[in-house]
This record gives sequence, C-alpha cells and structure tokens, in this order.
Amino acid sequence: MAGGGNIAAAPPVPRERRRARLRDRVVAGAFLLPAAVLLGVWLVYPAVNTVVRSFYDRSGDAFVGIDNYRTLFSSDPLLTAIRNNALWVAVVPALVTAIGLIFAVLTERIRWSVAFKVAVFMPMAISLFAAGVIWRVMYEKEPDRGAINATIGAVADWVDPPGVLSSARASSPALAGGTGGGIALRDTVRPGGVALMGLTGIRASEVPDDAREAVRPASRPGTVTGVVWRDFRPGGGRAGVVEPGESGLPGVTVELRHSGGGRVATTETGPDGTFRFDGVADGDYRVAIGAATFAAPFDGVNWLGQGLITPAVMMAYIWVWAGFAMVVIGAGLAAIPRDLLEAARTDGASEWQVFRRVTVPLLAPVLSVVFITMIINVLKVFDIVLSVAPASVQDDANVIALAMWRTAFGGTNDFGLGSAIAVFLFLLVIPVLALNVRRFRREQ
Amino acid sequence: MANVTFDGIWKVYGDDTVAVRDLSLDIGDGEFVVLVGPSGCGKTTALRMVAGLEEITSGELRIGDRTVNEVPAKDRDIAMVFQSYALYPHLTVFENIAFGLRLQKVEKAEVEKRVTDAARVLGLEPYLRRKPRALSGGQRQRVAMGRAIVRRPRVFLMDEPLSNLDAKLRVQTRAEISRLQSDLGVTTIYVTHDQVEAMTMGDRVAVMRKGVLQQVAAPQVLYDEPANLFVAGFIGSPSMNLFRGTIAQDGDALVADLGEARLPLSAATLERRPALRAHAGREVVVGIRPEDLEDPAHARDPDAPRLRGRVVLREALGSEIVAHLATGLRDVDIDPEERGVDPQEAGIAEGAAVSGETPLVARISPRSGISEGEDAELAVDVSALHFFDPGNGLGISDAEPVIGASA
Repeated sequence: MAGGGNIAAAPPVPRERRRARLRDRVVAGAFLLPAAVLLGVWLVYPAVNTVVRSFYDRSGDAFVGIDNYRTLFSSDPLLTAIRNNALWVAVVPALVTAIGLIFAVLTERIRWSVAFKVAVFMPMAISLFAAGVIWRVMYEKEPDRGAINATIGAVADWVDPPGVLSSARASSPALAGGTGGGIALRDTVRPGGVALMGLTGIRASEVPDDAREAVRPASRPGTVTGVVWRDFRPGGGRAGVVEPGESGLPGVTVELRHSGGGRVATTETGPDGTFRFDGVADGDYRVAIGAATFAAPFDGVNWLGQGLITPAVMMAYIWVWAGFAMVVIGAGLAAIPRDLLEAARTDGASEWQVFRRVTVPLLAPVLSVVFITMIINVLKVFDIVLSVAPASVQDDANVIALAMWRTAFGGTNDFGLGSAIAVFLFLLVIPVLALNVRRFRREQ
Repeated sequence: MANVTFDGIWKVYGDDTVAVRDLSLDIGDGEFVVLVGPSGCGKTTALRMVAGLEEITSGELRIGDRTVNEVPAKDRDIAMVFQSYALYPHLTVFENIAFGLRLQKVEKAEVEKRVTDAARVLGLEPYLRRKPRALSGGQRQRVAMGRAIVRRPRVFLMDEPLSNLDAKLRVQTRAEISRLQSDLGVTTIYVTHDQVEAMTMGDRVAVMRKGVLQQVAAPQVLYDEPANLFVAGFIGSPSMNLFRGTIAQDGDALVADLGEARLPLSAATLERRPALRAHAGREVVVGIRPEDLEDPAHARDPDAPRLRGRVVLREALGSEIVAHLATGLRDVDIDPEERGVDPQEAGIAEGAAVSGETPLVARISPRSGISEGEDAELAVDVSALHFFDPGNGLGISDAEPVIGASA
C-alpha cells in the first residue's frame, strides 16, 4: 500500500486487485442479465410503449393528445365499466374478507375442519376462467339446465306449488277470463243448475294421471253441480259440450261466488272433472276456476340477463377467493395466543364479546392484508367476467380490464383507446399497491 | 368473596390420561392456598377447572354455595392472572385494566376511579396510556394484577404469575402479591412449581403429584411433618436426605440402623412418633434435613451421633456451607425431577456424586474447616429425624396421614 503520509493521492491499485474487481462486476452482470432482459422485454418496454401508444389514434399514425382519455370518460360502455369496477371494489373485498373470517372462525371449531377447508380452498386450484365456465353453466336460466335455478325452483315449487294447469283457455264464449285472474262462467247459475266449464289448450302431458272420462253431472235441487273438462278430442268435437272421449280435469279448484263478487265456497274437481256445491241458498251465483289452478311453475331467475349479471359474476369470484381469505385469516387466528381469549373469558366476556373485542382487533393486520390484496385483484378483474357473462350482456357486465381487452383486441382493434384504458387501470392500482408496500415496510 | 370447594374432582382427557384424580379440597373464604408440585402434576388443570376454562370430568366444584361445574367462565365471577400475563396488546394499560369493567357496563366515572385506584396501589399511574409492549416484565405483571383486582371478584386464580420475572423482582413481587391479597381479603388459589413461593405466600400449601393431592397444610407443618416421602423430598431446599435403614432394638432403646451408622432414637422422638415402636425390626426410610447436620466442632451437642463420608462438593454461600458427602449409605430412589429443587441445582449435585449414589447434603456453619476430597464427620440432630414406611411411602407417626384434611 501507499506510504502513510500521502493521504490525498488515491493509493495505486495493484493490477491483480483491479482485475479481481472487474471479474466481480462481470459475474454480477451475468447473474443480473437474464432478469434484466426479461423485465425489460416483457415489462418495461411494453409499459412505456403502452403509455406512448395511448396518445395516438386507432392505427397509431396520428398523435391525438388526450383525446383517448376524453373518450374514456365520455363513452357509455366505458363509463359502465368504470361504474361496475367501482361497485366491485365497494362490494367484493369486504364480502370476501367477511366470509373468509367467518369460515376461518368456524373451521377452528368444527370437527371436519380439514375437509371443510380443502373444499373451500379448492376453487383456488382452478383457473379463474374455468371457474367462470362452471358458474356460467350453473347460472343457466332453464331450471333443467342450470344448477342454481334448479335448486331455487325445487324450493320455490315446494313452498308455492304450481297449479294443475299452467296453460289453458276457455273452449267456448260461455266462459270469460284467462289464466291470470281465473276463468269464470259468463252467465250466473242458480241452485239446481249445471256449470259446464270446458277448457282447451292443454297438452296431453299436462292432464293429470288420475283423470277419467268427463261426465256431465245431473242437476240436483239446492245444489250447484258442474264439470271441468278438457273440451277436446282427436278429430274435433263440439265446443262447450261434454262428449265421450273427452277427459275430466281432476284437482282443479272451483269457486262459487256471489253474482256481485265475493267467494261463497270452494271445492275441488274429482277424477271425472265433476264438482258440486251442496246446500246453496237460493240466488244467482257465478262459478269460476281460481287463478291458483293456472299458476305456472318456477321458470328460472335470469342470472345471465342484464340486471343480475354483475352480482352473478361477483358471486362466482367470491366463491373462488373465499378460500384464500379463509386460509390467510385462519393462519392469523392460529397465531393469537389462547391465553388472551381465555383471559377475556375470565374477565367476563361472552364468546361474541371475545370475538368482537379481542379476536378481531388482533386480526386487524391480517384482515387489512386480505382486504387490500382483494382490492388490487378486483381492480384488475377480467377473465371471470369474460367467461361468466355471455357476449350479449358483456356491455352490462363490463369492467375496466375487460373494456381494455374488448377495445384493443375484441374486434374494435382501437389500440390507442385500449392503451389509454390500460394506463388508467394502472394508475388506479398504484395507490393501493403503495399502501400495501408501506404496510410491509412498517411490519418489518 | 367466597370459599371454593373441590369435591371428588376428576379430570380425564380423551385418551384416558388422568390429569386430576379425585381431588377434594376446601378453601376457606379469604384464604390463600398455593397448589404446588412438579410439572405435569395437575395443579394448573385444577386451577383452570375453577376458572371454567377446562371441563370437569366428574365431581363437584363449588364457589360459595353455587355448584359451578356447568357455569361458563364469564359468569363465575373469578379473575385469573396468567403466566404469560395475557395482556391485550391492542389496548392501553388503562383499557387493559378496565376491560372487565367495560364488559360489566360499569359507569364511566366509576371505571375511571377504580382503574386509577388500582393503578395507584400497583404503582402503574405513569404508564396508563402505554401499550403493554412498551412495559417491562414486572410492569406487565402488575397490569395483569390490576386487571384482576379492579373487578373485585370472589376468587383470584393465579397461574405461576411470577415465573417470567427475574429472581430479584420475583422476591419483591411475591411480597407485593401477599400484601395485596391480605389487604383485599379475596380467596386466592395460586399455582406454582416453586416451593419457595409456596412456602412464603400460602396460608396453606397443597402439594400435588401426578394428579393426586399429597398433603394440604400450613407451610411449617408441611416442612416439619411431611405426610409422605414425596412431600418430604419436594419441600425444602436442599431437599431432605433419605436413606434406607432398619429400626433395631438396642437394649431398652431403639436405634435407626443405617448400616454404616446407628442413630439412637430419643425419647422425644418416640413420644412424637409412637408408631415407631411397632416398626422395631422392620425396614424404614430415615429422613434428615440438611440443617439437622452440623460440623461436630460447631454442633450444639458435641456428643451427638455422627455420619462419616468424603466431601465431594463444598459450596460456600457465605452464611453457610452446603456440603455434599459420599457416605455409602443406602439411598432411596426418588426421581430428581420430583424433588423441589431447581433442575440446575440438581444437576450440580448429580455431577458431584462419585458413584451415582445420592450424596448426603448438609448445611453447616460457615466456620467449618471441612474441605473437598477429605473425609469428614457430621453430627446428627437425632431429635429431628423423619421416618417413613418404605412400603407405602407414608410418614410414620401416630396420627393418621393428613392428606386432604383442612386446617
């Protein structure tokens, strides 16, 4: 080394040292190169290019300034996308966190918790797009095809059973009304009269199995009798007349009403379609078939229609992410010392108070990690919307990322506007991301 | 305030592990009872059953007149101090102490007053706005105490509250807890593995071993009249020397024949333990407390019978010398873990033993001239000998063994 007195001059570095330093740099560079190339080619260059491209027009020839950004905030489909995305941010992160918390707390207490956790976490193993396809099929409107409508239908039809006949109309002008409000005889009936109520437009498959050939009942004093029958036989027949080969309609609810309105009595038709009201006081009455008879079975909620498509996609998304939230929150829960919960109990706290005043505050850091992660995910939501929403309602289900894709690649091929949307989305994510990074720093 | 009664309490875990076996114990109103025993003896389980944190397998537990087997922890009106203190890390010291009061919906002004009072008693006033993580171990311990006393519960439960403190602070806090308890007069159950805490703090001490209650008595009684070999070995530090021997007839008198030495039994001893006569000619275990041995030069009675051995370890503590002697006497096999000795201390003693046999430990005058590696004689105070039946381990006296009796 240099002499002790010569401080100002840099000590001459021996050649070997210099070579060693150079070799270190080359080695470091060699290790950095692959990452630098990958980042540069697939991240930095596209990002910069996207920003630049967002100031050019559709074909990339003309510089248009901020026109693309103006369009972004003035065209209806794009505003829908921004509104929908806002809705996603408002609803989904909170729901995912809440559901994850509930699952995590419950799985701590149930015996089959491992099986339950696996089941809830399983969707994480499926790609979002595939999960979307699954839900698309489950959301089918026809109860015969969509699992969700089938389930709702089974419950709805059990709570409010469909009528015997869902599509029928009067066979002759003697009857008035329709399936909505019930069908009634135009003319009034007096005790001893016979009410003939012929219906047509009933498919053979709709005729109840226990039906027998219709019979025209005899007139009896003090009694209103009648028959409800399928006024149709192969080859025609006369309307309003009970003929051999025509089937009675059993199980139909028939109402006897005052001529001025108001129900007197109800009864049900027998296997041959006949009914009767005994002990009827003298006077004019109307006979009608109640609307309940014509109640249609459940025909499915239109999940994939304009109105419900966004909630429907959200549900699918929550199904996928609830498992993630559960596992992360469950880990946080396991890290809470048992002592603390026991101390709260001996301090006089009920289970709810323990949860509310000890568990949740101690979980707050974990909850906020899940919440913020979900905000970022939800801002970027894309594939599940594309796979759940049919093309016809994608305008209604639109979100920013999907709008970007549809604008740039979905036929419009407006790369200028598409780039502007992408830049806008990027700007939205940055503050949330910064929040997360700051959190991490503080925890370290 | 209330008494606590264990009536035939069992705790059996799913895999037939018995943690507490048929525990019956009456704790009087305002009494300070210490549950002590080696780890795994069931003392903490017993405490947690009182707290309502552990289900009772069978038996009846009463607090006051109320059977509380099925009462949840929150309704038992007890306060527990945990070994880890279990302070709520997200709340300030004030809110930690006030936690129970807030749950009871005590009026704001009243909460303020009671918390401030408790903080003054415990010297926590400067720290009320701090979070627990900003406190030292001793301060945290006092916050945990504050949380317990502020609610004025019927029973205090303390689960090794001092074991996380350093030795000096432990001594100081020990005294503070004792004073606080006697000021407040609240029934207290205190669990510890440290016999010094047990001896200094408890009105009565309950010694447990493997889920079974061994003896309940006032500390001095426990020390002077251990009911069985386990209690004899567990209580006292260094622990009692135990050797096998026989009671032999020597003319009119009885002697304890230890093989190498014969210790005559004084009239006073026989008067205190009349049952010894019946053991004449039979094998017994003889117990000698270390302080009942002395260098003959400093002994009160220079003619006292002596035990001989080689000094394998001499620990000068200033006020006394603890001498370990290899004697060749037949010792009694007791698991060192079950002796109430610090494992480290036990380690030293073990390392010092020449042949695997337990050395004779004596606390003798600091002016004694004995030195390591030399042979020495020690005078035995024969009036203070303890005797146990080697068959069942019970102390030999006239009285029935005092297991489970209340004071």
